Amino acid sequence: MAELEKIEASDRVYSLNLGPQHPSTHGVLRIVLDLDGEYIIKADPVIGYGHRGHEKMGENRPYKQFLPNTSRMDYLSGMLFNHGFVLAVEKLVGIKVPERAKYIRVIASELNRISSHLLWFGTYLMDLGGFTPFLYAFDDREQILDILDSITGSRLTYSYCRFGGVSRDVDLKFIEMTRAFLKRMEKRWADYDSLVTKNVIFIHRTRDVGVIDRELARQYGVTGPNLRACGVAFDVRRSEPYEVYDRLDFEIPTGTKGDALDRYDVRFKEMQQSCRIIDQALDQLPEGEFLTPKVPQKLGPPKGEVYTAFESARGLTAYYMVSDGSPGPYRCHIRVPSFGNLNALNDVLPGTLVADAISILGSIDVVIPEIDR
Amino acid sequence: MSEGLLGSEWFRLILGLLIVLAFSQLNALFLVWLERKVAGHLQLRPGPMEVGPHGLLQTIADGVKLVGKELILPFKADRKLFFLAPVMVFMPVLVGFLVLPFSRGLIIRDMNVGVLLVFAFSTITVLAILTGGWASNNKYALLGAVRSVAQNVAYEIPLLLAVLSVVLVVHSLSFAKIVEYQKTVWFIFLQPLAGLIYLIAATAETNRAPFDIPEAESELVAGFHTEYSGMGFGLFFLAEYTNMFIVCAVATSLFFGGWNGLFGISLGIPGVFWFLLKTYFLIFVIMWVRWTFPRVRFDQLMNFSWKVMIPLSLANIVITAIVVKII
Amino acid sequence: MKIHDIEARMRGKFGDLPLKRDETGVTGASWSIAVPIGDLRDAATEFNAAGFFLESITALDFEDTFELVYHFNCFEPGSRAVVRVLCGHDQVPPSICDIFRGAAWLEREVHDFFGITFSGNVDMRALLLPEDADYYPLRKTFGKVGAYHKREVIYG
Repeated sequence: MAELEKIEASDRVYSLNLGPQHPSTHGVLRIVLDLDGEYIIKADPVIGYGHRGHEKMGENRPYKQFLPNTSRMDYLSGMLFNHGFVLAVEKLVGIKVPERAKYIRVIASELNRISSHLLWFGTYLMDLGGFTPFLYAFDDREQILDILDSITGSRLTYSYCRFGGVSRDVDLKFIEMTRAFLKRMEKRWADYDSLVTKNVIFIHRTRDVGVIDRELARQYGVTGPNLRACGVAFDVRRSEPYEVYDRLDFEIPTGTKGDALDRYDVRFKEMQQSCRIIDQALDQLPEGEFLTPKVPQKLGPPKGEVYTAFESARGLTAYYMVSDGSPGPYRCHIRVPSFGNLNALNDVLPGTLVADAISILGSIDVVIPEIDR
Repeated sequence: MSEGLLGSEWFRLILGLLIVLAFSQLNALFLVWLERKVAGHLQLRPGPMEVGPHGLLQTIADGVKLVGKELILPFKADRKLFFLAPVMVFMPVLVGFLVLPFSRGLIIRDMNVGVLLVFAFSTITVLAILTGGWASNNKYALLGAVRSVAQNVAYEIPLLLAVLSVVLVVHSLSFAKIVEYQKTVWFIFLQPLAGLIYLIAATAETNRAPFDIPEAESELVAGFHTEYSGMGFGLFFLAEYTNMFIVCAVATSLFFGGWNGLFGISLGIPGVFWFLLKTYFLIFVIMWVRWTFPRVRFDQLMNFSWKVMIPLSLANIVITAIVVKII
Repeated sequence: MKIHDIEARMRGKFGDLPLKRDETGVTGASWSIAVPIGDLRDAATEFNAAGFFLESITALDFEDTFELVYHFNCFEPGSRAVVRVLCGHDQVPPSICDIFRGAAWLEREVHDFFGITFSGNVDMRALLLPEDADYYPLRKTFGKVGAYHKREVIYG
C-alpha cells in the first residue's frame, strides 16, 4: 500500500470508466477507476442509473398497489422481495397467515433463491471467461422458472404473495415438478463441482482475491453470503426466523477468509441447503387454506412503524414503513443488501488488477437496480 | 513439372497465392461455423441451425452483414494506422501458408528456412494488434494491445525453444525434411514435452482462451478491437481463425508427422487428408479448451511463461542437444 | 449478548427516559432510543465499540421536523436497536462516516432524498439522483403531495 501512495502522486495515473455499459457490470453500474498500468489505485462506484423512485412510489399508493413494485427492485430474487413486503404489512396490520400459505411461500422463496444463485454462478464464471457453465446454469434455472411460472404466471417479476397468503394454491403437478427438479440438481452439483470448483484456473483466479474480512464487513454493513464467507454465521432466516424457517433443518454455510473463493463456496452450498429446505417443506406441507379470506380490500393499519428484515438472495433486506393510519404508508424505506456490499468495494478494489476487479465485482453478486431502487 | 509458363517460378507463386487466399477465407468461414457448433454442443444447445443445413451458411450471412456495415472511425483516432492494422494483421497469416507442407510435393515453396519464415512473420501480428489498439484512441483497446505485446513476447520464447528442439534433431529448418523425418515415429513421442509446450504457447500466441486476455471480453469489452466495426472487425476475426489454422498446421508438421500416417501406416489414404485430419483435430482441441476453462489472469499468465515454460523448454533443449551429440 | 451490554451503556449515558422497549416486535428492534442531535456521534461511537454494524440510515419528513432513524444490528439473533434523532428542517446533523465507513453512502442517499446535509461528510455528491438534481424527492412537498403530518400525529 505504501507503494501505491507513491504512485498516486505521479502523472502515470489515468482513469478508466468501467461502465455503465460494460459486459461485466451486471446492470448499469459505473466504476471510475484510477489506474497505474493495470493496477487500481482508486475506485469510485457511481450508481443511480437505474433509480426509479420506488420509495416515493410506495408513499403514493396503497400497500396493495405497491406489491408489484417490490419484485422489480431486485429482479433476480423478486419472489423474496415480494415475500418480505407482505411479511411487513401483515406484521403492521396484524393479519394471520394460514400454515399452508407459509409453507408455499417458503418453497417459492427458496426456489427463487436457487434461481438467483444459479444466475450468479453462471455470470460469475462468464466474468472469469468461462462461458460454458453459464449455459448449464441457465438450463437448470429454466426448470425453476417453469415451476414458478406454473403457480405464479410469471417468470421473473413475481407478484405471488398476498396479504394473508398467496394468490394461487399449489397443485400436485407443482409438487411433482419441484421434486423432479431437486432430483436433477443432486446430479448437477457433482457436475459443477468437477467442472468448476476443482478447476485449477478458477481456483487461482479466486483464491485470496478481494478479501472482505469481518471488520470490513461490519464497517460497511456487508450481509448475506458475502458476510458468511468471512466466517460469520449470520442469516436472518436463523437470527429472526420468519414463516416456518424455525421448523426446518438447514445449515448456514460459512467460509473462513472471505475471499472470492469463499464467497463462491458459500453460495454454492447455500443452493444445496435451499434444496434441503424445499425438500422438507414439501414433506411437511399441510392441507388447508392458502389465503385468509377475511383480509379487507382497503387496509387500515394502526399508526406506528414496522421494520421487517428477511434474507434475500444477497443478504439482509428490510422494509421500514411508517403508517399514519391511511391505506398507504407515510414513509416507505427499503434497506437493500447490495448497497453495503457494493460500498465495501471502495476499500477492496485499490491495489488489485483490473481483471481482479471484475472477479471481485462478480463475486459479491450485486444487482444494481436493487441498489438504485 | 512442365517447361515454360506453367513451370515458371512466378506462375507457381501467383497460383499458390490465389489458392491460399481462397482456401484461407473458406477455411476461416468454416472454422467460425465449427467453433459455434463445438461451443453449442458443449453447452447443451445446437448452435446455429437456421441458415443452410445445420447453419453451415451462417458465417457467410454474417460475413455479408459485416461487409455491409459502416466502418466507424472513433473520435480523434489515428486514421491511417486505424485502417492499416486490420490489413496488417492478415498479411503475415497469408505468408505462413506459402511454406505449409500439405502433402509430399504439395508445398507452394519448400524453403530451407520455412520454419523460421512462419514464426518470423507471425510476429508481425502483434505489431498489427498494437497498431490497432493504439490507433483506436480507446483505453480498453490500448490495454488490450499492451497486454497482447507482453503476452506474445513471453510466449514466443518457449514456442521457439520448443521448435528448436525439433530442429536440433532433424538438422534442418525445412518443413518437408522435418515431416520426412517423422515417417515412422512422430516427434510428439520423441519430444513430448516440446510438443506440449508448443501447443500451450501456440494457444497463447493466437490469443485463444484461456489465454485470451488481450480481448478478454468480460474485462476489456473487446480488447484491441473494441472500436472496430464492419469488415475492420471482420478481418481481425478472420485472421484469428486463419492464425489458428496455421499454428495447428505447423504443430501437425512438427510434432504429429505431417502427411505421414501413424507409425508409417498410411492406410492408402492420401497424405493431404492425413495432414488436414490432424490439423482440424488440433483445432478442435483448442476450441474444446476454450469452452471449458475460465481465463487466466495477466500476471499468472506471465508467471507461467517465465517461471515454468521457459525453464522447462530450455532444459528440454539442453537434454536434446546432449542426446543428439551422443547418438 | 451485545444488545444487553449496549442497552446498559446507553442507559448509563442518556438515562432511562428516552429508551423505549418494543415487546410486540413490530418495529423489528429490541428497543429504540431518542438522542439529541448533539449526542448522535457519541451514541454511534458506543455502537461501534460494542461491535454493531450500521444497517440503515433513513429520514422521515414531518411538517415540524425531520427525524433521522439509524438502525444498528450485530451478528447475533434479535439484536437490532434504533437510534432516533430529531433534526429541524434547517439543522445540520453531524456525520458518522468516520465511525462507520458505510455511513458515507447512506448519508449521501439521505441527502439526495431529503436535502439534509451532514457536517463532516466531505463527499455530498448526488448518489442515486442525477448530478444536477436540485430537488429532494422524498420530501412530502415534492411531486404528488399527500398527507403532511406533524410528528405527534403518528408518534403521539
